[in-house]
Amino acid sequence: MLTKRIIPCLDVKDGKVVKGVKFQNLRDVGEPPRLAAVYEQQGADEITFLDISASVEARKTMLRIVEETAKSLFVPLTVGGGIRTVDDMRAALNAGADKVSMNSAAIADPDIITRCSESFGSQCVVVAIDAKLVSAGRWEVFTHGGTRSAGIDAVEWAKRAEELGAGEILLTSMDTDGVEEGYDIPLTSAVTDEVDIPVVASGGCGSVEHIYDMFAQTGASAALAASIFHYGEHTVSEVKEYLRDRGVPVR
Amino acid sequence: MPLEVTVADYGVGNLHSIRKALEICGAHVSVVSDMERLLDAECLVFPGVGAFDSAMRRIQPWKEEIRGMLDSGTPALGICIGAQIMFDSSEEGDGPGMGFMPGRVVRLAARQIPHMGWDLVETGDPAMEGIRDRHFYYAHSYHGSPDDPSTAVGSTEYEGVRIPVLFRKSSFYGSQFHPEKSSSSGLAFLRNFISFAEGCL
Repeated sequence: MLTKRIIPCLDVKDGKVVKGVKFQNLRDVGEPPRLAAVYEQQGADEITFLDISASVEARKTMLRIVEETAKSLFVPLTVGGGIRTVDDMRAALNAGADKVSMNSAAIADPDIITRCSESFGSQCVVVAIDAKLVSAGRWEVFTHGGTRSAGIDAVEWAKRAEELGAGEILLTSMDTDGVEEGYDIPLTSAVTDEVDIPVVASGGCGSVEHIYDMFAQTGASAALAASIFHYGEHTVSEVKEYLRDRGVPVR
Repeated sequence: MPLEVTVADYGVGNLHSIRKALEICGAHVSVVSDMERLLDAECLVFPGVGAFDSAMRRIQPWKEEIRGMLDSGTPALGICIGAQIMFDSSEEGDGPGMGFMPGRVVRLAARQIPHMGWDLVETGDPAMEGIRDRHFYYAHSYHGSPDDPSTAVGSTEYEGVRIPVLFRKSSFYGSQFHPEKSSSSGLAFLRNFISFAEGCL
């Protein structure tokens, strides 16, 4: 039986791991390759790096970090942030990423999803969606760290991304991200009800109960979390034990 | 003397993990983008990156020679796409495969595609000997369907359908899962494969 995945997420800025609280007040929490290896030991099913640097120089640093990480990591590594072209994606894959997530670039030019999935296989193309509730039952896609609405419906965009060849959706709720009061269950369900590709739920995890609630109430395939792991509140193995005891299939 | 493993580089994708994983398991590894260099290999690995046609395009000029090596018992491992290209053809691609494993590569009959994440490998094959946790990492939309069912030596059940995920013919092993992404269980599988390959020499 396919198990539910637990994915520690490392926000990386200028080569260091940080965790954004609503994308502000960044605090340094360690070296990415070392943290990734620790999480693998704890039983993480996958690792995600999100590059939140802005400069071209920092992007090169990121590729070096991906390469260093891949040499000691034997679970899948997803890399996102700043991927704009097919060549950017190729560079990230060649550096050691197994999957690459795209956000703004896919909104600006949706065909890039198709070009990437034809070149590298849809299993390595992840479309990241940052969504925010704008009216009852309607979420819009936001870009630029959640400051700018792209004016498109998040559920419709997820369906379109699937049609264009995405292999997975990384869905972040801008309403719950950084608040640590639980995942956005209505948003996650709205998307998992409409797409057949795997959905990774992100934003709002503050406790093991939040992860359980999300799996129990939505069709998501994976839970992405940062602070509960980075600040040592729980290990990945504790989270899995909790889920296993409650009947959620985990590795 | 460590086993000399030659990994085929089709020009795209993460080969750091498979190289490092094989090295940790005791092999000496060369990654070659010039496919002609596969021809004098002691042991071959076809990694699981890219798509069917793009991988086959690189191998095509030396297809007959490589098939000859496989037929005459050179130990080899194909991972995901690297296993799929051993079949006659694929629903994913337009061109023919290696034709080493009679059969076709077909699209998964499932709602959720790709089949992505950690799932079981059910097998009695010695390649899994000593491995307690049989969860391995998968990321695929297609799988091999061999004409000769005895070459499918391991399977998993996905959405109620049993699919073959471990193949064996002569000295070739094919895995639909990614051992290089399957943490300690994956490394144990590679260690078993290396012992098997050493026994073939």
